[in-house]
Amino acid sequence: MTNDGSLRRSALLRPLFGSSLKEWLLLCLLTRGEAYPSELAKELGFALLAVQKQLAALEDGGVVYSRMRGRTRLYSLNPRYPFRRELEALLRRALEALPAEERERLYVPRLRPRKPGKPLAR
Amino acid sequence: MKLSRLSTEELAAVVCDALERHGFTAVLTGGGCVMIYAEGKYVSKDLDFVLVPQDRLKEVEVALAELGFRAEGRVYVHPEVDMAVDVGNRWPLAVGQEILKPPPRRRVSGYYLRMLSATDCVKDRLAAFYHWDDRQALEQAILVCLAQRVNMREVGRWSRAEGQEAGFAEFRRELSRRRRAARRSG
Repeated sequence: MTNDGSLRRSALLRPLFGSSLKEWLLLCLLTRGEAYPSELAKELGFALLAVQKQLAALEDGGVVYSRMRGRTRLYSLNPRYPFRRELEALLRRALEALPAEERERLYVPRLRPRKPGKPLAR
Repeated sequence: MKLSRLSTEELAAVVCDALERHGFTAVLTGGGCVMIYAEGKYVSKDLDFVLVPQDRLKEVEVALAELGFRAEGRVYVHPEVDMAVDVGNRWPLAVGQEILKPPPRRRVSGYYLRMLSATDCVKDRLAAFYHWDDRQALEQAILVCLAQRVNMREVGRWSRAEGQEAGFAEFRRELSRRRRAARRSG
């Protein structure tokens, strides 16, 4: 956390991607395999609409793909993207360079309480 | 020209030719290729083109409007034609991780058509089967193999490069089974 309470997010690839949101979405999909937009928005501290728009743009470019599970749209890195291996190698390097606290946030989804009122478990 | 009277291959050639005359390199991929190579055993609703350059949508619109197509969502539709034209597929032309050179053009009823070879078409469909678990794409790959000469050694090499030995073995088993069934039914 930063002093103002917002989540600290290094932006190692922003000069390349032009957006730290894009960078964090891709890092998160790399570490988790698949995720849904509201989960990504909540975990990473971005607005849901911005996450949805960015994922739609990445899907349009073939970088990610989505599939429906029940009523939820799940996103993953697209294994058919021609530069997938190179992209994953770049993201892995960036992941290694992230501070441990930020890296952990990418791996560990926050668990929901089993009953209302129970504290969040990590 | 009555587009509704054209075969799929001729329609694809008319569209491809129009796009190329407007300065694009357009390559037919996807289900449209399967429909042509499977010789009527498969019906697609789309003609999917991979197009370069990609940032000139206005010119795509002009080229297709000359044929009577109009934009509807992300595809182009024609009042007399059942198939929609989709140019939303991204360059580079690739099958899985392998980037392809644009195939040469050939003449179809006086128009130029550029499309994936039968072997690359099979790889393209298998990429969807391997990576997205798309069983319909496996069926499409088989239909192309049953109707066309496909370089199976090359498909095997590519499958291994994609890390898909098991998927390729499943494809070969299914293809052999279908070939036996086709021979039995005469």
